[in-house]
Amino acid sequence: MGLFDKLSNFLGLKKKEVKVLVVGLNNSGKSTIINHLKSDDEKSTEIVPTIGLSVEKFKNQKVYFTALDMSGQGRYRDLWEHYYKECEGIIFVIDSSDRLRLAVAKEELDMLIQHPDVAGRFVPLLFFANKMDLRDALSSVKVAAALGLEKLQDKPWHICSSNAVTGEGLQEGVHWFTQQVCESMR
Amino acid sequence: MAFKRDKKEEEDGGGNIFQNLEKTSVLQEARTFNDTPVNPRKCTHILTKILYLLNQGEQLGSTEATEVFFAVTKLFQSKDVVLRRMVYLGIKELSSLAEDVIIVTSSLTKDMTGREDLYRAAAIRALCSITDVTMLQSIERYMKQAIVDRNSAVSSAALVSSLHLTKVAGEVVKRWVNEAQEAANSDSIMVQYHALGVLYHIRKSDRLAVTKLVAKFKSGRMSLKSPFAICLVIRIVSKLLEEAGGEWAESPLFDFVESCLRHKSETVIYEAAHAIVNMKNTTQRELAPAVSVLQLFCTSPKPTLRFAAVRTLNKVAMSHPAALMACNCDLESLITDSNRSIATLAITTLLKTGAESSVDRLMKQISSFVCEISDEFKIVVVQAIRALCLKFPRKHSVLMNFLSTMLRDEGGLEYKASIADTVITIIEENPDAKETGLAHLCEFIEDCEHTSLAVRILHLLGKEGPKTKQPSRYIRFIYNRVILEKAVVRGAAVAAMAQFGAACPDLLPNILVLLARCQMDSDDEVRDRATYYHTILQCRDTLIANHYIIDTLQVSLPILEKALYQYLQNPSPIPFDLKSIPPPSAVADDHVAASNKIAAEGSISSTAPKLSKPQREENYYATKLNNIPEIANLNGPLFCSSEPVQLTESETEYVVRCIKHCFPHHLVLQFECLNTLNDQLLENVWVQLEPSEGYEVVHSIPCPRLQYGESASTYIILRFPDQLSATIGNFGATLKFVVKDCDQTTGLPDTEEGYDDEYMLEDVEVSLSDQIQKVSKANFGAAWEEAAGYCEMEDMYSLASMSSLEEAVANVTAFLGMQPAERSDKVPQGKSAHTLFLSGFFRGGQQVLVRAKLALADAVTMQLTVRSTDQRVAELITSTVG
Ligand SMILES: Nc1nc2c(ncn2[C@@H]2O[C@H](COP(=O)(O)OP(=O)(O)OP(=O)(O)O)[C@@H](O)[C@H]2O)c(=O)[nH]1
Ligand SMILES: [Mg+2]
Repeated sequence: MGLFDKLSNFLGLKKKEVKVLVVGLNNSGKSTIINHLKSDDEKSTEIVPTIGLSVEKFKNQKVYFTALDMSGQGRYRDLWEHYYKECEGIIFVIDSSDRLRLAVAKEELDMLIQHPDVAGRFVPLLFFANKMDLRDALSSVKVAAALGLEKLQDKPWHICSSNAVTGEGLQEGVHWFTQQVCESMR
Repeated sequence: MAFKRDKKEEEDGGGNIFQNLEKTSVLQEARTFNDTPVNPRKCTHILTKILYLLNQGEQLGSTEATEVFFAVTKLFQSKDVVLRRMVYLGIKELSSLAEDVIIVTSSLTKDMTGREDLYRAAAIRALCSITDVTMLQSIERYMKQAIVDRNSAVSSAALVSSLHLTKVAGEVVKRWVNEAQEAANSDSIMVQYHALGVLYHIRKSDRLAVTKLVAKFKSGRMSLKSPFAICLVIRIVSKLLEEAGGEWAESPLFDFVESCLRHKSETVIYEAAHAIVNMKNTTQRELAPAVSVLQLFCTSPKPTLRFAAVRTLNKVAMSHPAALMACNCDLESLITDSNRSIATLAITTLLKTGAESSVDRLMKQISSFVCEISDEFKIVVVQAIRALCLKFPRKHSVLMNFLSTMLRDEGGLEYKASIADTVITIIEENPDAKETGLAHLCEFIEDCEHTSLAVRILHLLGKEGPKTKQPSRYIRFIYNRVILEKAVVRGAAVAAMAQFGAACPDLLPNILVLLARCQMDSDDEVRDRATYYHTILQCRDTLIANHYIIDTLQVSLPILEKALYQYLQNPSPIPFDLKSIPPPSAVADDHVAASNKIAAEGSISSTAPKLSKPQREENYYATKLNNIPEIANLNGPLFCSSEPVQLTESETEYVVRCIKHCFPHHLVLQFECLNTLNDQLLENVWVQLEPSEGYEVVHSIPCPRLQYGESASTYIILRFPDQLSATIGNFGATLKFVVKDCDQTTGLPDTEEGYDDEYMLEDVEVSLSDQIQKVSKANFGAAWEEAAGYCEMEDMYSLASMSSLEEAVANVTAFLGMQPAERSDKVPQGKSAHTLFLSGFFRGGQQVLVRAKLALADAVTMQLTVRSTDQRVAELITSTVG
């Protein structure tokens, strides 16, 4: 490490960089959400199902985020845990119109929370009840109830409805998330 | 600060800072990859270490590799270009070791389609290394785009990766043919070359398509600017010509290669010349232009061209000596070339083609710098010497001296082994050279650091030493090994001494004393051997010594092992019968000898042939046949199998070869059929046989289906006649089958219904040699003595059709299918009488020994004496020879 780096570290000039993990079932809209949060010149024009993971960067209120956008397909979900240890926040995306698989989402969430690398650690959890624009979408309250979030007490969490295609609801969620992370870094 | 550190590294590292890396500590360091934020410089360095270790052959377990791999995936968050490119390399190296490597698929596809050109090519290569058939679908679209990308590095990377992918997913890659075609028209030299490679690979199994591909290029519809691509076309064309057999001289394809001799790129010119001189059946006229190109290169100021030319000339020296004459002058001027590799090749080429008179001069020249060249080229020299010794037996003392000097010099195992091999070959081929050769080898093992070589030489001394005029002189050298060497060598020395004890009665008392001393050895194996040999030799019974020391257990070891295992699995009250185990097949030995010979005569510059795998050969058919229940149930194990015999002309509609498998009481005929018609599917293929009298067909096993281009077998099981003389005969044979006409492109039958058809085959001949297995005997004399108590038959024959002893020896040996003993198959020059010793086993385990005394007058006369444990076998042999 160069002398200058050391100095700037010491003086607290280091720019804030936060690592977040983005998980949720496949087709829930994770990649679409992240894409929306990226600056305009970095947005991709098409979103395809993720295979494995994709590392993305975006910025919110002077905080730089590195998002690990994971694949939600069944056979890749086991790979999420490789990245639990270092993450400083988790975004969990739910397709609120997919009532059928809400139970599956809950199961995955429970496993996530009980995982030794997550349990007992201060990690803010942001839930997006995505695809709110679809006709049979559940409200965020109903989604929260279905996931049993009321029992989640040792971690700060927040849920909001969103539409990743238009970006509606995303700012509210990310704003809360940024506050939480900044707090934890202080 | 940085400067200071460099200096320190220089002091203690002696250059390579990675020298003392340890796997566990590097893996520990790799945990740094998980840190946030990523420190690119540090991580790049650690990744380099990991790559270094992997390239040094360090093994990573699956768990270790997976852990490192997932740590590496976290480095994608850094945007540092250098680090990212190391990450790609890391992914590639780990892709075959770690699990779940597909995790980086999206990250890599993002990089390969992204804006950063520095990432794209390397990302493609990494992506293809982690992709398997099931995942290929999801990246296919990107691959197609990348192949036709405007950036040539990207396009090349995609094409080369496609080539690699053909191994796992040939069918998918075939779908990219249009993109590859487009890339073949690229302006980039490399892209064009790689694209052509992919196109050829996609079509290579289809001869017609390849021919079309070449024609397209020749006609100018596809213009190739890349010299590499043209070289590739030359190679493809040569392959086509080779496959076409002899009928190509007037072919436009040959004209094409010839025209490349006038290309403006030297690479292309060389490739064309190289191709032409390596073609078979070329005439002087076709060869001449290529040779003159090589000749021109020999005088080029560029060392690479001189090297290429002389290396090529060296390779073809034996097949085209006349063409080489033209270059003699130029080669002469190269023997003093400042580039030692060029000089070595020039000299060895001249040695191969030159006259006996020039040997001394050339050897002197080469010895002036032999210590300066690398082992690889020293081996070239050694092999040239081997060929020379065979060609000019009288020169052996000069050459042997040279070899012994080389033996004393420093050198690696392969080099030393090639010298020892050469000395051994010379000893075997030339009796005059034996004593000097053995003396050199004795001296060599006094100071030989290669254990395996010392063991081989000791074994040879044990075999050859007792037959020399003064066997006692070798004992000292051998016993010295017992005192000075490690256990393996000591064991070999003990075994070698025992050979002398068994073969030379005068030396026996001394040997017994030495062996007694060895019984005090600290190593179990050495002690056991000494005790074993001492006990046997103490009996002073030549018969026992012969059985247990000189010609030991003669059974096929893999089959013995299997039989014993089975016996132990199902123990039975009947004792195990060693006779039921067939003798080891001598075929494997012959194989090695034959390939050695080819190497000696043909290309001297190629490295010595590695031993083939006799074990596999020996068991090969036995295992295959055992999968067929009807054959597995036959009495007794497979005794021997014949070489395949062609029953059809080559180039016919159906190609059929017959392999005769001999069991104790049964004969199994295996008909290997190949269908060469692409519009026919054959079903229910079998052979109708008209066996000679006494034979009884037990089973016929048809082959259910024979597709175009495939080969499959049908079998017939026969019982041998009880009367031995009836076992030799000719069987008429016809191939019978049902034909279904097929669509040529899909290979699917047009109709459900087929029609019967048949095809005449040549007769199947069952001879004496099919029922005899070769067995080598190191001490034929002793075995012959011992067999005095067996049945003996003797007869005189006149071999009127043969005009020389060599011819007679070769014919008798082949007819009987037995193994010549004590090198009696080699007729010394200028002799008019010779005795041939043969040994073998008849099916069922009857021992057979044959002594054939041959004399040459106008024709060859032969007195044949057969001794066998079975009267009927002896009779059979004397009666069939006549
Ligand atoms: N109507 C609607 N469609 C959405 C919304 N968010 C995402 N989609 C669509 O849902 C599909 C899946 O989106 P992705 O972002 O690929 O989903 P993902 O969670 O990343 O899926 P995996 O990578 O396979 O785990 C895409 O066709 C999106 O256009 C939303 O809020 N409303
Ligand atoms: Mg996705």
